[in-house]
Amino acid sequence: MSQHTDHSTGASPAPEATPQTMQLGAARGGFLSQLRVTLARRTEGRGLALLTVVVIAAAILEPVVFTSYQVTLGRVALIGLVALGLTAVILMGELDLSVASTLAVSGVVMASIPDIWLGVLAALATGLIIGAINAFFVVVVGINSFIATLGMLFALRGLAFVLSDEEPVRLSNIDAGIAFGTPLLGPLTPRVLLFIAAFIALQIFLSRVKAGREFYAVGGNRQAAMDAGIPVRRRIFTGFMISGFVAALAGVINTLERTAADPTAGSTVLLASFAAAIIGGVLLNGGRGSVLGTLIGALALGILQVSLTLSGVQVDIQDIFIGVILLLAVITDPANLRAALAGVRSSFRGREKAQTPV
Amino acid sequence: MATKESLTEAIAVAGSGAGGIEKKKFSPLLWIAENGVIVFTAALILFAVIFVNGFASLPNITDVFYRAAPIGIVAVGMTFVVISANYLDLSVVAQVATSAVIFIGISNLYGLLAGLLVATLVAMLYGIVNGVAVGFFKANAVIVTLSTTFIGLGILRWLSGGSIFFGPEDGPIRAFGQARLGPIPASALLLIIITLILWFVLNRTTFGFAVRAYGSNKEATRLAGVNTTLVVIGAFVITALAAMIGGFALAAFSNTAVSSMSDGYEFRALAAIIIGGTSVFGGKGSVLRTLLGVIFVSVLTNILVLSGIGFGFQQMAIGALIVVAVSVDALARRAAKK
Amino acid sequence: MRNSRITFSALGLMAAAGLVLSGCAAADTETPDAGGSGEETFEVYALLPQGTDQPYGTTYLPPFEEAAAELGLNLTITNSQYDADAQASECEVAVAAQPDLIILWPAVGDTVRPCLAAANAAGIPVTVTNSDVNPEDKDLTEAYSGPDTYGQGVSSAEIMCDLADGEEFGILVVNGLTGNSTAINRNAGFVDTVEANCPNVTILAEQPGNWNKDDSQIAVSEMLTAVGPENVDGIYAADDTMVAGAIDALKARGIDPEPLYITSIGNTFLGNPLVVSGELDGTVFQSSSWDGENAARLAHAVLTGADYEENLFMPSVKVTAENADDPSVAPEW
Repeated sequence: MSQHTDHSTGASPAPEATPQTMQLGAARGGFLSQLRVTLARRTEGRGLALLTVVVIAAAILEPVVFTSYQVTLGRVALIGLVALGLTAVILMGELDLSVASTLAVSGVVMASIPDIWLGVLAALATGLIIGAINAFFVVVVGINSFIATLGMLFALRGLAFVLSDEEPVRLSNIDAGIAFGTPLLGPLTPRVLLFIAAFIALQIFLSRVKAGREFYAVGGNRQAAMDAGIPVRRRIFTGFMISGFVAALAGVINTLERTAADPTAGSTVLLASFAAAIIGGVLLNGGRGSVLGTLIGALALGILQVSLTLSGVQVDIQDIFIGVILLLAVITDPANLRAALAGVRSSFRGREKAQTPV
Repeated sequence: MATKESLTEAIAVAGSGAGGIEKKKFSPLLWIAENGVIVFTAALILFAVIFVNGFASLPNITDVFYRAAPIGIVAVGMTFVVISANYLDLSVVAQVATSAVIFIGISNLYGLLAGLLVATLVAMLYGIVNGVAVGFFKANAVIVTLSTTFIGLGILRWLSGGSIFFGPEDGPIRAFGQARLGPIPASALLLIIITLILWFVLNRTTFGFAVRAYGSNKEATRLAGVNTTLVVIGAFVITALAAMIGGFALAAFSNTAVSSMSDGYEFRALAAIIIGGTSVFGGKGSVLRTLLGVIFVSVLTNILVLSGIGFGFQQMAIGALIVVAVSVDALARRAAKK
Repeated sequence: MRNSRITFSALGLMAAAGLVLSGCAAADTETPDAGGSGEETFEVYALLPQGTDQPYGTTYLPPFEEAAAELGLNLTITNSQYDADAQASECEVAVAAQPDLIILWPAVGDTVRPCLAAANAAGIPVTVTNSDVNPEDKDLTEAYSGPDTYGQGVSSAEIMCDLADGEEFGILVVNGLTGNSTAINRNAGFVDTVEANCPNVTILAEQPGNWNKDDSQIAVSEMLTAVGPENVDGIYAADDTMVAGAIDALKARGIDPEPLYITSIGNTFLGNPLVVSGELDGTVFQSSSWDGENAARLAHAVLTGADYEENLFMPSVKVTAENADDPSVAPEW
């Protein structure tokens, strides 16, 4: 997950400086071939397939999922927001394991400050600072991000317990929290609106802004990115700060909606965010994927969870479901299938050469 | 399977990672980076003996061993996955709990041997599924083991119903859990034996060479004719078997098993491996270092509890330690290069 | 009203699908008695933070489901695994499904007010089970049934105070999982009562045991080292599993647990035999079957407008050597 890492999925190609995230509009050219090329370059295929299956199954078995779509969207936003920020880091071939702890700490910081707006600002600043600290260890000190953020995962969770005295911290202004949880625009709550805003902002940043497009180059082939004059260190700082900020934003939203900050919050966030990004086709080694993919992954997971919940399926079985889907998603990744095929072929060839069974 | 010569070649290609080529000139900074965990562990123990009341007492030494044993057995096994440059095996959290529940649950019904047999089969299954997905399909180990964690814990909870299983007071598992040689509990002896066995496997066998070579340079190892798929499967199987034995040690200690008893084991084991100085980039590291890392973390936690420090500060200390240990390593390495 | 019609048709569809599925799956089992006996059936959502992933939940669910089936409650059960955000989301799902009633077992007590407010706004009554909501949120709920978690801590402390009998006393405390509401409430009940009733009892050290026997065993052994075993006259652990670990820790160090004063909460399969053997001096019975069954009965009473108690507390029965063999306190989990 850094430049030293061997890209085991051999297929993350080096010339990835042109990002693959083209907007759907690009296919409107009408030329079939162009469409095919665009489709071939997209990474959201499996996520989309899963989403389709889930949507159809839910429509038949649990239509409530769609008649009360605002609830489903709320769940998607809960799973997806942190995943969006995480995507920015993963695209660069780095990891941020500290997102769940960041969410908890920023929530506690916010609830500890009596003034609600000051609290929100302090919480978001906390997220930015944590992101900068993560990036400092990765870029300046030179530690693998996996380890640096693993350390932060422990340290920040501990900090959340210390700051909160190991108990949930109630907001001083509970009515403001309850008001925040009510629909703002049509049936959409501020959580859903903020989620959509974060998605649009990141989508534009990573596909239309030069600095954002360079994230792909940093993740695809870091040496080449450096040679091309891309300020790799600054991009990594930006990425971790985006991730920290978004995790803190999720902490703020959760704290407002629940009217209290829970130092144990986010226990299911880290794994669910990874799952959303991976199902959406984001390559964990960097350089490939899109925020749109993460959105699709979060939609698929969210709808799946809500339908299973409505059907009264117990959590154990839900976990088995999600695990199997995730495993299938990762081994049916085109690059991985190709690697597997190549492995079979070369082992056959090896056998012919050696003339003896292995 | 590869011949010994081709492997040696692969390791030569793989370069400094697997062998000891760092003999150019002595650098104190690099020495500290290389042997940091020894220095830090020694310093910490010295500090504790002098300043922490009761640390050096016999019952407390036993407690440190009890802290170290189950997580240590898991961590020395997982060192294989880390050295093979596959980051970690998240599913040890499911494996340890599954093994503990099998050892107590099945042994209660059909005897210890049946428990051992089923636990071994389940461990093999974990190792092979993880290993095939990572080694054959070349899928990312973090995601693969994340999904097998979901699946494994889901199945365990579904089948065990989340109940607490406890063994009979006079059973063999209980006897093992209470057995001690002086201040050293049987589980700690088990940890030492397993560490020695795995040291031998990693440093003295062709397979061990292959794991280290693969961790240093996957492509060169493959080109040298090593069946890299089998190497990866082997690393995951060893991890799974160690997690199985770790689950046994954990279950034996309390004579109980419950599906939530290993919460946090995946990251705690990784923390011990990293603090021990095994590189997460793969190729470089040893099970002896992991053993030291486990002892370090156990001593530290023990000191914090003895000093009456709360859970929040304990977590902060461990987190800070991971970052500091690795920072010292990274900075010293860079300084030494100049 | 359009909303509710949509919901009804949706529920109809769901019911139809459910009937078809259950018909396919189990043709030989009895047909669902929805409307069969002429009794009214109700749609009820139960938002729980645990289920078959925890020992307590595992034995809570069967009596809950049995009583619900008997009373004609059609249950949909969720398990948020103590994640307050997951439970809040499940609450939104439940409110959207417009059931006749919601049974809530708060994952984190401080965070449920918005859920209650939403249910109230949608006109769905809420009953609470196992852990009560905060006093200021009580007006948004119909009734509570379950143990008095604070009261359990109080009862355990009362046993301890009786044992201390005015003497100067040093004890160790093992708490539940850090940040967990049951752990917080039991600790508060214990500590408050000790301070008020027997200030002669001093808490020498406390550590979390995470509801685990092995964690508690090591923590107790280390606390013994820290404060000196000769200064320890008693131990309180927040549940029986952890107290069993504490007793093992004493034995492992060659300390006879019987002269020490040890109390806990639970009266489980692990704890009850320890009371009988005299190693554990007292525990407080928490009956998972009482808890589960009364959650369903109370919900039914609220739905049918029958008489009910607004706070139906599980009796905090103290279990000591005198009554440990009594069938009324036979352990359940």
